[in-house]
Amino acid sequence: MRMNKWRADVQAFLFLLPFLLVYVLFTFWPMIKGVQMTFYKWTLIKKMQYVGWDNYRRMLQDQEMWDALWHSTIFVLLTTPTMLVLAIVLAMIANRKSRLQKFYRSVFFLPSVLSVAVASFLGLFVFQPYTGLVNSVLHWLGVLSDQREIFWLTETNLAWIAISLITLWWTVGFNFILYLSAMQDIPDEIYEAARLDGANDRQVFWRITLPYLSPITKTITMLQIIASFKVFLQIYIITGGGPLDQTRPIIQLIYQTGFRKNDLGYAATMSYMLFAILLVLSIIQYVINNRKGANA
Amino acid sequence: MKWFYRIVSVVMAAIFLLPVIWMLVVSVKEEGMKIVSVVDWFTPPYSLAVYDQILNGTKLTDWLLNSVLVAVFVTLLTVVVAAMAGFVLSKVPFRYRAVAFFFILSGLLIPGEAIIIPLYQVAKDMNLLNSYEGLIIPVLASPVAVIVLKSFFDGVPNDLLESVQIDGGGTWRIFTSIMIPLIRPALASMAILTFIGSWNNFLWPFLSITDDNLFTLPMGIPTLMSQYSEDYVKPMVVNTIASLPIMLLFIVFERQIVKGVSLSGIKG
Repeated sequence: MRMNKWRADVQAFLFLLPFLLVYVLFTFWPMIKGVQMTFYKWTLIKKMQYVGWDNYRRMLQDQEMWDALWHSTIFVLLTTPTMLVLAIVLAMIANRKSRLQKFYRSVFFLPSVLSVAVASFLGLFVFQPYTGLVNSVLHWLGVLSDQREIFWLTETNLAWIAISLITLWWTVGFNFILYLSAMQDIPDEIYEAARLDGANDRQVFWRITLPYLSPITKTITMLQIIASFKVFLQIYIITGGGPLDQTRPIIQLIYQTGFRKNDLGYAATMSYMLFAILLVLSIIQYVINNRKGANA
Repeated sequence: MKWFYRIVSVVMAAIFLLPVIWMLVVSVKEEGMKIVSVVDWFTPPYSLAVYDQILNGTKLTDWLLNSVLVAVFVTLLTVVVAAMAGFVLSKVPFRYRAVAFFFILSGLLIPGEAIIIPLYQVAKDMNLLNSYEGLIIPVLASPVAVIVLKSFFDGVPNDLLESVQIDGGGTWRIFTSIMIPLIRPALASMAILTFIGSWNNFLWPFLSITDDNLFTLPMGIPTLMSQYSEDYVKPMVVNTIASLPIMLLFIVFERQIVKGVSLSGIKG
């Protein structure tokens, strides 16, 4: 488009202005402001005194912070591989020609539209002992004898399993759709050729389907790691971070430090720890994505 | 082997559906029933009495309305603002365009959760805490939306624009009457994703709102639940009321939602 150069610049700027205004005020400015906060004792009411690098020193020696980071990492390790496997299995189910094809697609995505609070509370009740859905179904099926109960939410390892299962159920829908559309892009001729050469189901899956899905698998893996690192509400509702803070993730610790212990300066410092980790992960993701080329 | 696949499929579907069906069924049970076996959940007596209590005795419907209002405004404004930015980044050559593009692109690397503490301070300084504006404005700038929409504008051929220009159309007219209609499917997909994102947004409302008249559902639900003990009926009624509108929306717009999600993977 050609027009008076100066007018064009002004016009373009006006188009960008609404976005840039919000972006600078509520993304860039807080990012800079946050750095300042890490060097102060800073409460919910006001800025207190300058403390230099104290918050950083304190953080590096803070066992609670390292524990919380480890808990977020546990959650990443538990949910990422299981998410990939589950998403592929569900996509294969919904990709098979059957009268229920559309039904499967809807059912597997349905939980994803629930509010995070609803999904978490549903999970909380599903995993209650005695009358919760899981235990009562297990009793009914006879898998669990009548005298025994599984206390999902009060034993650390079981609590992790419960939290992970709920999260998978609630969020797998997005990844499932990504895999499904990637599977539908695999040309039929390739399958037909493989069948003609006498390949069985297993060979077709390992030699054709999976390799074709590998670009999207890389993308999903990284996005999943980043998203899982930011876990908060499911855990907050389901276990409250307990038992004994054994499942408390980093964001919950940041929240409690800032808003319960009235220490925004230190909370901001821990936020930058999280920021640094997520930044590294995002850069890795960017590099992996751009190496694969064509994808815009 | 075919049967094996079929059984696995049905069992998976059952596992995915069961919690939702359970929620709906428990929500219409009578309160205080003794539950001995899982079958008891699914058999009468049924009652809608608790619906009446929750709808009329709590602020849940106000929160539902707040969630809808916030999500609608966030969605509209996010998409409009991002489309305007994406359009000039794609179609209007101007000075510092590359700089502007990389400035916005770098936003993809800034996780909202990691700057939420200073954002609270900034919003407080601007008197945005405890207000609808505070729920809406700070979340409007979505670099992802700009980048995705820009790539769609890139797909519109330039000769189309030149013919309008000879016609004497200005930039704004080109944007509204040519570009917007051409990328409408992408806008719709973006809008749906933004809506779901806003609907689920918890951390920001949780920190910035303390007035319970301004709560959105993700904050209101835990507040309400903390008052209920033992019985499942009230919580399930709350869950159901909070979910029915969005589930209906899903059933109506399923195709667009699915398309929107696959689109987000391309950008990922």
